Amino acid sequence: MTQHDPGGGRPALRTDRLGRRYGRVWGLRDCTLEVPAGVVAGLVGPNGAGKTTLLEMIIGLLEPTEGQVSVFGETSRAGTAETLARVGYVAQDHPLYRDFSVADMFHLGRSMNPRWDQGLAQQRMSAQGIPLKRKVKQLSGGQRAQVSLTMALAKRAPLLVLDEPVSSLDPVARQEFTQELTAAAADSGLTVLISSHVVTELERLCNWLIVLAGGRVQLAGPTSDLIAEHQVGFEQLVMAYLQRPPRAATTDDPDSSKAVTR
Amino acid sequence: MIWVNWRQHRSAAYGCLAVLIGLAVYAIMVGTSMRTAFGHDGLITCLASSKGAVGCPDAVMTFTNEFGSEVNIAFWSVALIVPGLIGVLVGAPLIARELEFGTWRLAWSQSVPRARWLAIKLALVTAGLVIVGAAMTAVITWYRAPMDRLTGHFQHNIYDFEGLVPTAYILCAFGFAVLAGLVIRRSIPAMIAAFLPWLAIRLVIEFVFRSSFMAPLTLTCGASNCQGNNGGYGISAVPPATGHIGDWVLSQTNRGFLYQPADRFWAFQSIEAGIFVALAAAALGIAVWLLHRRAA
Repeated sequence: MTQHDPGGGRPALRTDRLGRRYGRVWGLRDCTLEVPAGVVAGLVGPNGAGKTTLLEMIIGLLEPTEGQVSVFGETSRAGTAETLARVGYVAQDHPLYRDFSVADMFHLGRSMNPRWDQGLAQQRMSAQGIPLKRKVKQLSGGQRAQVSLTMALAKRAPLLVLDEPVSSLDPVARQEFTQELTAAAADSGLTVLISSHVVTELERLCNWLIVLAGGRVQLAGPTSDLIAEHQVGFEQLVMAYLQRPPRAATTDDPDSSKAVTR
Repeated sequence: MIWVNWRQHRSAAYGCLAVLIGLAVYAIMVGTSMRTAFGHDGLITCLASSKGAVGCPDAVMTFTNEFGSEVNIAFWSVALIVPGLIGVLVGAPLIARELEFGTWRLAWSQSVPRARWLAIKLALVTAGLVIVGAAMTAVITWYRAPMDRLTGHFQHNIYDFEGLVPTAYILCAFGFAVLAGLVIRRSIPAMIAAFLPWLAIRLVIEFVFRSSFMAPLTLTCGASNCQGNNGGYGISAVPPATGHIGDWVLSQTNRGFLYQPADRFWAFQSIEAGIFVALAAAALGIAVWLLHRRAA
């Protein structure tokens, strides 16, 4: 069942010469990319490549220093309710309030999001056997990841962004999370952008690939086309582009991941 | 949003309630015996007489000796820091905890802009602190009522805990701590960074500026006053200089005495509370603006 086609043929996500500077260092620069509606896009890059910076600008947590983001054709403005409501976000390490119960977290989601889908949230928890009354601090890492994903899905935003969703999970939880995400994306016609440096996981999930290195986009396109074009496997393809020197000469220090959380 | 904030801050609310209950139990115990003694010592009749408490210095002395230790300097010192502690304990984690635990990514990526998120939170928590401050003030005022009839309200250990200023002190410490939490990004250092300037401002205003909030009045010495009064300065139950309960005698000049009359209590309270509320509002305003800009 495809609920969303809010873009009407427009790309789900477009960034135009997007850049963010932290002091004198560029965390990301000149980033132009397009993600069509309905794909599951993987964003790969080494630590410090500017992945989190890019994602935070896409969801409206961070204001670009230059360039702009548009989601389904509408230009984003950082920190506004409209922009925030358009994107669901699963942050790195799945932050939740430790002393809240799962039901409390959903109550929070309901009071802070106009399109919150409580039915979906509860149904997902019962399907996974996570009791609503359980405190967040009593959940396993995998369960916390599932609660985070569920909160982002129940927000009912057409674009879902995940930042390193599986890197903190054990292999079993990793697989469960990946399956849930694939099923949810297929179910709802969501467009998904998922950043990771766990390349094997991305290969299973994604049908669109973006490689980010040195603060710039090195490669982007449908995974199958890229593999066919380069005649190599997914992992070798990613590795080849990760190890390349930046496409354009830059003197900027790419290792600015520390600044990202500021 | 009201529910979210209640859920996040309810343990702080319970903590404040526990402090209040402890204070109330103490106040009821001491306050009741103070009231009994007040009746026994014949002070009610004495105050009702034409000369007031000036007419029966012995009874006043007996009473203040018995209960004066309950409001002594040790009590004052502890009570001095309590509003500041409440303010920084509630204020510092308000933003810093979100930054420390990474939950800001969750809180600020819902469909509520972060400046609005903070403004709502600040409005609700401030309202809670006003209730706590008002309740504390009410308990202390009730408990001290008999003593206040003999001493007025201008003494440091009375003035600081009655009227408007206790609540204003709490709000000021809270405002400083919220801002410090946003800038320093860690709760405990933010508490310290907010508490120290708060205490400094609090003491400087009390001991340097308070006596000149309004131009003091001059009492010209005549035949009937200013006699044998080397104890005439400062605030005592009945200043020998003015002979009026609660007057605050500041200094002696060659013409007479400078003093602040007892009935300026509320004017002084309003001025001092105004200063601290303005400081709180400034700090909170800067915090909202910084967070909005940082979105940003």
